[in-house]
Amino acid sequence: MTVTRRAVLGGGAGLGIVALGGIGLSRFLRSSAPDADVHAVLFDPDQPVLGNPQGDVTVAEFFDYQCPFCKRGHDDLMAEVEADGNLRLIMKDWPIFGGASVIAAQMVLGGVASDDYLGAQAALMATPARLSEDDVRSTLSAAGLDPDVLLGAYGRDRARWDGMLGRNAQQAAGLGLQGTPAFIVERTIHAGAMDRTALRRAIAAARATD
Amino acid sequence: MMMRTLSAALAALTCWSAVAIAQPAPPLDPSDAFVLSVTADAADSLQIAWEVQPGYYLYRSKIEAFEADGEAIPLVLPDGEVYDDPWLGRDEIYRTPVATTIPDPQGEVTLHWQGCQQDGICYAPQQVVLEADGTIRAENAVKAEAFGSWRAGGSAVQPALSDGTTSGAQDGLKLAKDDGLVADLSSRGGVALVLLGFFGFGLLLSLTPCVLPMVPIVAGMLTRQGGDMTAWRGLSLTGAYVVAMAAAFGLLGVVAAWSGANLQATLQSRWAIGVIAAIFVTLALSMFGLFELQMPASWQARLARRQGSAGSLSGAAALGFGSALIVGPCVTAPLAGALIYIAQTGDVMLGAAALFALGLGQGVPLLAVGAFGPAILPRRGAWMERVKMASGVVFLGLAIWLAGRILPGPIVLALWAVLLVGCGVAIGALDRLAPETGRSARMAAAAGVLLVFAGLLQGLGAALGSDDPARPLAPLAGSRQAPADDLSFQTVTTQAGLAQALQASYPALIYVTADWCVICRAIERGPMADPQVMAAMQDLVRIKVDVTDFGTEAQAIMADLAAAGPPTLVFVDAARSEAQDSRLIGNMSAERLLASIRQVAP
Repeated sequence: MTVTRRAVLGGGAGLGIVALGGIGLSRFLRSSAPDADVHAVLFDPDQPVLGNPQGDVTVAEFFDYQCPFCKRGHDDLMAEVEADGNLRLIMKDWPIFGGASVIAAQMVLGGVASDDYLGAQAALMATPARLSEDDVRSTLSAAGLDPDVLLGAYGRDRARWDGMLGRNAQQAAGLGLQGTPAFIVERTIHAGAMDRTALRRAIAAARATD
Repeated sequence: MMMRTLSAALAALTCWSAVAIAQPAPPLDPSDAFVLSVTADAADSLQIAWEVQPGYYLYRSKIEAFEADGEAIPLVLPDGEVYDDPWLGRDEIYRTPVATTIPDPQGEVTLHWQGCQQDGICYAPQQVVLEADGTIRAENAVKAEAFGSWRAGGSAVQPALSDGTTSGAQDGLKLAKDDGLVADLSSRGGVALVLLGFFGFGLLLSLTPCVLPMVPIVAGMLTRQGGDMTAWRGLSLTGAYVVAMAAAFGLLGVVAAWSGANLQATLQSRWAIGVIAAIFVTLALSMFGLFELQMPASWQARLARRQGSAGSLSGAAALGFGSALIVGPCVTAPLAGALIYIAQTGDVMLGAAALFALGLGQGVPLLAVGAFGPAILPRRGAWMERVKMASGVVFLGLAIWLAGRILPGPIVLALWAVLLVGCGVAIGALDRLAPETGRSARMAAAAGVLLVFAGLLQGLGAALGSDDPARPLAPLAGSRQAPADDLSFQTVTTQAGLAQALQASYPALIYVTADWCVICRAIERGPMADPQVMAAMQDLVRIKVDVTDFGTEAQAIMADLAAAGPPTLVFVDAARSEAQDSRLIGNMSAERLLASIRQVAP
C-alpha cells in the first residue's frame, strides 16, 4: 500500500475527528458525573448484579421501595433487560421515604445470601407505593419468604450492606441526584421515570458512543 | 363481547395515557417545584405556604415541623386530594398551593416536606430551619436526611432530627447535634449561666498582664479629680469606665454573632496577627518606660475643665470605650476561643450580653482601684517598675508567640534568642558578683545565666533551621519529622474531597484547621503529639480539612460540618455518625482528645 496524499489527509481528518470526539466525550463525562467516580457507581463490588453480568451496557437505577414511578416502570425495565439480553442491571437502593423503605431494602439485600434477592425485590416492586413495615413483611411472606430470616441474613452481612447503602447515598449526593427514580445508563444520568422507549433510546445511545 | 370491547378500550386508553405521560419535562429543582414562603404574623406565628407547580404534588403526611429538641409540632393541614391508584396506593396529596401555621414558635423550627413530579421523580426529603422570626435558613440537608435514614437496622428509623442529630449536607455525614459551650450552658441554666460563665472568664482574663496598661489610665483619671475624691465618686467614675469598656466588648460580641466564623477567621488572619503582635510590642515598650500610656492631652484638658459629674462620667465612659480598643487585642487569643462559641449560636443578643459580661469581669480589679482610690496602688517605686518590666517581657513573648504563626521558624527562634538573652543579661547574668553580694542577687544571676543559656540554644536552633522553639536542636537529633510522620493526615480542601476521604468505612477524625489558626499549632504540638493519643489515632481515618483559604468552598465544608472555625475536631464512627458530645472545639487536653477518639474507636 502506497501512501497517497489523500490517505494522509483522510487519516489526519479521521484522527482529528476522533480527537475532537474524545475531547467532547471527556467533557461530557465530566459534566454528567461531576464528583462521583463513574466506575465506583456502576461497579460497586458489594452491589448485587441483575441481567447479564457481562453485558456491554450497565443500567443503574437509584430507587426506593415506596417510590411510585420506580415501581410503575419496574416491569418495563425488567422486560427490557430480559429482551435485550446484553444489559447489566444494578438496582441501587436509595431509601428516601423513611423507615419502611429502609426495612424493605435491608430485607431484600438479606435475600442475596439465599438467592432470593430478585424474588424479594420483584414482590416489593409490585406493591402500591405507600408501605408500612407490616406491608413489607406481609408482601414478602406472601411471596414465600420469611421476613425475619431475610433480616437476620442482612444482619450477618451488615457491614457490607450498610457500607454499600452509605456509598449509594454519597454517590447520589455526589451526582446531584434530586430523588428517585434516577437512571444511569452507562455514562449518562436520566432524572425521573423512563418508559421502555426512552430506556431503549438511552441504551442505543450508550452503545453508539462506546 | 361488550366486556371485551370495554377492556380493549380501557387498554387503549391506558396505553395512550402512558404515551402521553411517558416523557414529563426534566424535573425542576425541588426548591422551584415547591416554592416555600414563610411570613411572621402579628401574633408571632409563622405562616408557611408552598406554591406547588403544575404537574407536581406534595405528600400531606410528609409535611412535618420539629422544634429544636426534636419535638414534633402538631400542624393543622387542609384535607388533600385523596389519591388511590394501583401504584401510589392510598395517599393524600396537594397539587395546589397549601398553607399551614406554626403557632408562636419558641426558637428554631425544622420544617420537612417531600413531594414528586407526577410521573417523573420523587424528590428526596426537603428540609429547612426556620428562625423564630420566620427567616429561612437553607440546610440543604436533602441528601443527608436520606442518608441518615438508612443507618438503623432491624427496626424503622426515626426521622434524623428526632434522634438528636442534625444532618450535614453534601457529604452525607450524620452530625451529632452539637450544642457548643454556650448552648450547653444555656440549656443547663439559661442565659444567666452563660453570662456568669463569661463574667468568670473575664475575671480570669483580668489576672493576665493585659489589664496592666489600663491601671495607669484609671489612676491618672482619678488623680486628676483632685483632693475631693470620695470612694463613691471614684467608684462611679471607674464604674462608667468599666461599663463602657464592657460595652465595647459587647459590640464585638454583636459582630461575632452576626458574622459567624468570619470574625474569628479575620482575627486570625495574617495581617491581623501582624497588627496584634505590633500592638503587643508597643505595649511592651510602654512598660519599659519608653512612653507613658495615658489619655490624650485634649481629653485630659476637657476632663479638667468640666468638673460637673455628668461631664467627667461621660469622659470616663469614653476613656473606657477607647481602652477596650487598646486592651482588646491583648486578650485576642483567649477571646478568639470565646468568639467561636458566640459565633456558633448566631444569637446576636446573647453574643452581646455574654461579651458585655466578660468585659465587666475584666473590669472588677479596676473597680477596686476606683473604690479605694489610687492610694491602694503601690507607690511608684522599684517594685512597680519591676512588675512593669516583667509584664513588658511577657508582652514581647506573646508578640513572638503570635508572630510565630506568620514568620518562618528559624526567625522565630532567633527572636526568642534575643528576648531570652536580653532578659538574662537584664537580671544580671553577666554582672560581676562581688564576694559580699546578697543571696537574692546571686539567685537572679543564676536565673539570668539559665535564660542566656536557653537563648543561646534558641539561637543555635535558628542557625540550624529548626522551626520548633520547644525543640531547637531537633535538626541535630535527626528526628525532626517524627511526630508528623506517625500522624499523617489526608488534607482536603473541598466538599468532594471530604466525601472521597470518608469513603473508607472506618471511624474517622475530621480536623478543621488552617495555617493561620494559632491554637491549632498548640494542639498539634501538645495533645496530638501525646504518645497515647498517637497510638489511638492509628485506628482512625485522619482527615485534615484545610480552611486556610477561607473561600466559599471552605465555608461550605464548615457549614456541612457545622463547624464555626478552626480548630474543630469532629469524630465519626464507621457509619459516619458523629458521636454525641465528642466534638472538640478550641484547645484541649490529651485526655479529652483520647476520650473523644475512644467514643468512635473503642
